[in-house]
Amino acid sequence: MKKISIEHLARVEGNGGVTATIDGNIVTDVKFIVNEGPRLIERLTIGKTPEEDVNLVPRICAICTLSHKYAAIRAMEKALDVKVPPKVTLLREFMHLGEMVESHSLHLFYLALPDYVGFPNAIAMASKFAFEVKIALEMKQFGNHIMKVMSGRTIHGENPVIGGFGKFPTRDELVWIKNRAIQFIPFVLKTVKLFAELDYPDVPEAETLYACCHPPHKKYGFAGDEIILSNGEIINAQAYKNLTNEFVVSHSYCKRSQYKGKPYSVGALARVNCLGERLEGEAQKMYKKYFNSRWTKNPLFNNAAQAMELLYAFERIPEVVNEAVQLPDPAIVPYKKKEGKGAGAVEAPRGTLFHYYEISQGLVSRSDLITPTAQNAEDIERYCAIAAQKLLDAGQENKIKDRMDLVVRSFDPCISCSVHMTQVKKASQDHWKEKLAELMTATAPVFVGMGTSEHSDDGAGLELASQLRRRGFKNVWLETELEDRTLADTNAGRPVIFLDAVDFGEAPGRITLIPLQTAAWNSVLSHRFLPLAAGRISLALMKNSFILGIQPASIQEGKKISEPVLQALEKILEHIKN
Amino acid sequence: MQKAKLKIGIYELTGCAGDALLIVDCEDELVNIFKAADIESFLMAKSDNNDGPLDVALVEGSVSTERELKELLDIRKRSKVLVAIGICAGLGGIQANCLQAADWEDHFKKIYGNVEMSITKPLPPKPIDAYVKVDFYLPGCPIGREQFLSTFTRMINGNPPELSRFPVCMECKWNENDCLLNKNVLCLGPLTAAGCGSVCINYHLPCVGCWGPYEEANNTAEYKLLVEKGFSRSHIQNKMANFSGTKIADFFAQLKGEKK
Repeated sequence: MKKISIEHLARVEGNGGVTATIDGNIVTDVKFIVNEGPRLIERLTIGKTPEEDVNLVPRICAICTLSHKYAAIRAMEKALDVKVPPKVTLLREFMHLGEMVESHSLHLFYLALPDYVGFPNAIAMASKFAFEVKIALEMKQFGNHIMKVMSGRTIHGENPVIGGFGKFPTRDELVWIKNRAIQFIPFVLKTVKLFAELDYPDVPEAETLYACCHPPHKKYGFAGDEIILSNGEIINAQAYKNLTNEFVVSHSYCKRSQYKGKPYSVGALARVNCLGERLEGEAQKMYKKYFNSRWTKNPLFNNAAQAMELLYAFERIPEVVNEAVQLPDPAIVPYKKKEGKGAGAVEAPRGTLFHYYEISQGLVSRSDLITPTAQNAEDIERYCAIAAQKLLDAGQENKIKDRMDLVVRSFDPCISCSVHMTQVKKASQDHWKEKLAELMTATAPVFVGMGTSEHSDDGAGLELASQLRRRGFKNVWLETELEDRTLADTNAGRPVIFLDAVDFGEAPGRITLIPLQTAAWNSVLSHRFLPLAAGRISLALMKNSFILGIQPASIQEGKKISEPVLQALEKILEHIKN
Repeated sequence: MQKAKLKIGIYELTGCAGDALLIVDCEDELVNIFKAADIESFLMAKSDNNDGPLDVALVEGSVSTERELKELLDIRKRSKVLVAIGICAGLGGIQANCLQAADWEDHFKKIYGNVEMSITKPLPPKPIDAYVKVDFYLPGCPIGREQFLSTFTRMINGNPPELSRFPVCMECKWNENDCLLNKNVLCLGPLTAAGCGSVCINYHLPCVGCWGPYEEANNTAEYKLLVEKGFSRSHIQNKMANFSGTKIADFFAQLKGEKK
C-alpha cells in the first residue's frame, strides 16, 4: 500500500496537507490534514468586551482579516441591537470589495496560475507573463489600497468598529479609487477570458451542494442575513448551525461541516452558482458567455468564478463611491445593551464565514466562529479522492500528487484560519489489521458476506461469513439474505463490514480495508456496493461502513476457493479471534 | 568581485500568516527582494523550497504543536541568524494570552472535546525564544512594511536591524493627534512598541497594543492612571494582556504581590 502526500502545500496561506493512501489500484483513504496548531480563539475571546473581540478575531487570518472583522461586527450589532446609517453599510461593503480584489488577484495570479502555465511561482512566471504579473500586482495593490484607506492598514486595520468607523475617507480619496477602478476594467475583462478559457482537467468532476450568503434586493454581493443553497433552500443566518453541523475529526485541527450528512462547498464558485443570474453589466455578459454545466461540478472552475467576481467588484466599486460621496459622515452609533446574542454571516473571499456571540454583563460569554475552509474540508477530501481514483484507473498514478495539489489549491484554502498540503501513500500489507482491531473494539460490527459460491474466489466473502457464524458471531448476514430494513434494524450504531473478493491489482490473498465512502468514487466497487447500500444504509452509517476485501486469484466458474485466498481467510479469522 | 547573496528562509508556525503576507504585500519591492537575496524557502510565495543551510531565518508564529517545535529546532540548527517576526513568534501572540497552562488544557477540551488527535500533539502556544535563541525581534501584528524593508536591506548589507526605541505615544505626538487619554479613552499608546505610525489614533481610535509591550514602558504608572480614571481593574488587565502574549506575566505577578 502506498501513500501520496503533499505535506507542505506551497502557495496557500497556512499549514496543511492532503494524504491519499493507495492499495493496489484502489484509493483507500484521503485525508485533508490541518497541522496548523490550535489557537483556541473562541475561548480567548470569552470575558472580553465586544470591542476587544472585534480587535482580536481578525487575527485568525491575515488574508480574510476584514471579513472576520465584518462578520464579528455584524454579529455584535445583531446581539446589541445597533442599527448603522446607510453610509456605514455602504463603506463596509466597499472595504470588503477591497479585500475581495486583493485576495482574488493574489490567488489567481500568484497562487493558482503558475500551476496551469508550468512555473513554480509567480516571480519565475514573470519571465513569460511579464504584463499579466505586473498588472495583477497593481490590481492586488489597489485592493490593498482600499483596505488601507478604509481600515487604516492593509492587514489588521482597526478603523471599522461596532457602530461605524473611527474615520471616514475623504471625497478625494474615494473619487481617486473610483477612477482607478474604471481604468482596470479592460484588464479584468481579459482576466475573466484567461481564467474561463483555461484548460481545466475534468478529472475531479462530481456534483455537490453550494452555499453562500443571500444578499438583499435581488443583488449579487458578499453579505446577507440569510444563506442560500444551490438547491434553492434558504436558511436564516441566525440558524447557521442547521447548515454547518460542525464536528471534530482526529486528523485535523480544523473542524468539519456537513449539511444533511453531505459535504457542501462555499466560495466564489458557490456564489456564482447560487447568484450568477443576479450579475449585471459586463459581469452579466461574461456570465452568459462562459457559465456552463462544468461550473456546477468541477472545483477547478473556482478560479474562473474568482475572475468573474473580480469583474463584479471593479464594476461595483464606482457605484458605491457615487452613492457614498453624497452621504454625510455619521458619528459612531453608541449602544447601551449589555446582554444579547447574534450571528453575523459574510462571504470571505474563500467562502461563507460565520461569527456568533453571546454577550452577558457587557462581556463575551460564548463565541462560535466557523470559517470557510472548515466548511470546505469535507469536499476537498471528496474531490481529491475522486481525482486520485480516476487517475489511478487511467493508469496515471504519477499525476495524482500534482492533480490533488490543483484541487486543494482551487478551493483557495486559508489554512491559517485553522488549518502545508498533499501526499500519496502506499498502504502497508497489514494496514487492515489495525483498523479492523479498532472496529472490533468499538461495538461488535455487523458483517455482510458478499459474492457467489459459483465463481471460485468470488465465494470468499460468503465463506468468511459462514465461518464467522460457526464461531458464534452474531449479526452476520449473507448478501442474499439482506432485506431493505435488515441493516437499519440490526445496526444501532455498529460499524458495517462487507466481506468480499475485491480485485485491487495486488497478489492473490492480499487483504485490504476500504471505507465505503471512498469506494463510492471507484467505478467497479461503486457498481457493486452502492445499489446494495442505497436505501439500506443511512448517510451517517456510510461513514462507518467498510469493505474488507481479499484479492482473488481467479473468479472463473467453479466451486473451489484458491489456496492464497483460503490462507487470507485464516489470517482474518485469526486476527478477529485475537 | 560580487558578494555572495544571502540565503534567507521565511517560515510560518501557528498564526494568521500576516507577517508572511505583509512580505508578499511589499508588491513593488517583492521582485527586488527575490533578486537581492536567495529566498531558499517561502511556502506562501513559492513551491520549490529547500531545507539547506541559511544565513537568515525569519520565523513567524508561535510554537503550538510538537511538529512545529521540531521544525523550529531544525531551522535554528540550519541558520546563522534567527529573527522572530511579529508578536506570535516574539511574544506568543494573542493565542498565548491564557496565562496558565491548566487553563489552556481546559480551553482545548472545551473546543475539541475529548477527541484523541491522530496528528501532531498540540502544545500550549509559546514564543519561539521559549525553545531557541532568537537574535532579533521585529514587533507588530502584523510587522510593518517600512520596518521589514529597512531590516531586510540592513541585513543583506551585513548590518543588524534598527528598531524604534520608543512607544507609539511618541509617533502619535509627531502626528499631532489629540491625546485620547485626556479624553478618558483607554489608550495603550504609552505602553506599546512603536513602528505602526500611531495608525489607530490617527483614525481617532485608541491604541489596542497590537505591536506588543514597549520594553521600557512604565506599566505601573499607566495602570494607576487608568484606575484613577475609573476603568475596572479586570478591563485594564485584559486590554494590557490581549497582544502581550506571555511577556506581560511578570507585570501581573508584581501587581498581584502589591495587592496583598
